[in-house]
Amino acid sequence: MSTFPLRRNTIVLGSVLFLLAVFAWAGWANWEYRQQAAARLLADAARGELVATAATGAPVYVSPLQGKMAPAFALNDLSGNKVPLSSYRGKALLINFWATWCAPCKIETPWIIELRNKYAAQGFEVVGIDTEGDDLKPDDKVGWAKAKEAANKFVAQEKIPYPVLLDGDSIATPYGGLDELPTSFFVDRKGNVVAAQVGLTSESDLEAKIKKALAE
Amino acid sequence: MTLLKHSTIAALFAAALLARAQFVDSGAPGRAGSKSQAVVYLSPEQVTIHAGKPSAVDLHFRVAPGLHINSHTPSDEFLIATTFSIANAEGVQLAAATYPAGESMTLASDPRTRLSVYTGEFVIHAQIVSAAGNHLAQGKLHYQACDRSQCMPPKTISVPIDVIAQ
Repeated sequence: MSTFPLRRNTIVLGSVLFLLAVFAWAGWANWEYRQQAAARLLADAARGELVATAATGAPVYVSPLQGKMAPAFALNDLSGNKVPLSSYRGKALLINFWATWCAPCKIETPWIIELRNKYAAQGFEVVGIDTEGDDLKPDDKVGWAKAKEAANKFVAQEKIPYPVLLDGDSIATPYGGLDELPTSFFVDRKGNVVAAQVGLTSESDLEAKIKKALAE
Repeated sequence: MTLLKHSTIAALFAAALLARAQFVDSGAPGRAGSKSQAVVYLSPEQVTIHAGKPSAVDLHFRVAPGLHINSHTPSDEFLIATTFSIANAEGVQLAAATYPAGESMTLASDPRTRLSVYTGEFVIHAQIVSAAGNHLAQGKLHYQACDRSQCMPPKTISVPIDVIAQ
């Protein structure tokens, strides 16, 4: 007869624990949702768009980052060294987001190399950021090794002389989402974005934007 | 009776919380601001085949206008091939897949670079083997899409096929 209160207590305790677990799960799900919503809002705020120019009507890519400081980052290069954006302060910089699977990126790479060599003496540098879009987890050693190997092979094949950093996906949000590649930001010597470009244009277009970064 | 009532209320409350958590999480993409799908699966939704024997199933897909995806045999080692697979579960297996030949495409900025791509509608001829019974095969198509000046990250879409094997 005395087992009933014990059984009731067990049921009540079990229910309370179940409820606590449900609360914890709901709280975690809500936190994760808020994180993702915040990332979406940030990316939307930094996402550029094509705008028709007043003079010719030709579409020009305009980024909300223009006139603002380039968002800070510190990413590993192919040798595993951490390279912060701040290490380029004082130089005009082209931040070029690319991926090994991106055919237009491969087409513009020789143009970028040529322009980098042409303007290096004036204080111009390029940093290429490999942005594979595969959202690798930090502990995915196999995935990272594969991504690094592909980037190394691409860099060797294209004879890229400028620093190449890995994991552009981790800084996609402040740079507008990076939903399309190639995406480039042209930064002046003070660290401000003076122009941006999504997609393949032409070597002369890249050169005009580099000159703008050098002039500011 | 009181205990039962309390338990019921608690269960309903928990269910409401869970429903809310599921609802708020449902629209969250893995990558902020991803664009709409470049490739859609058209048909078939359901196939009836002979159990235990490889059976031909033609899978129809459509690439969005203005976009292309690499064929199964891209022209460059770095480009991502379009591939179809079926998870080895639910008693359905992909025995083989024959892909269409890619169309040759060049980009205006570099006529020397030739790409092998799919545009518009394309068909993958699959050979499927299934155990007897009704199964929901979870096929997947992995691809990477571009237009003539820019590319989107690689993507995998679901290809659900209701397989009736007799």
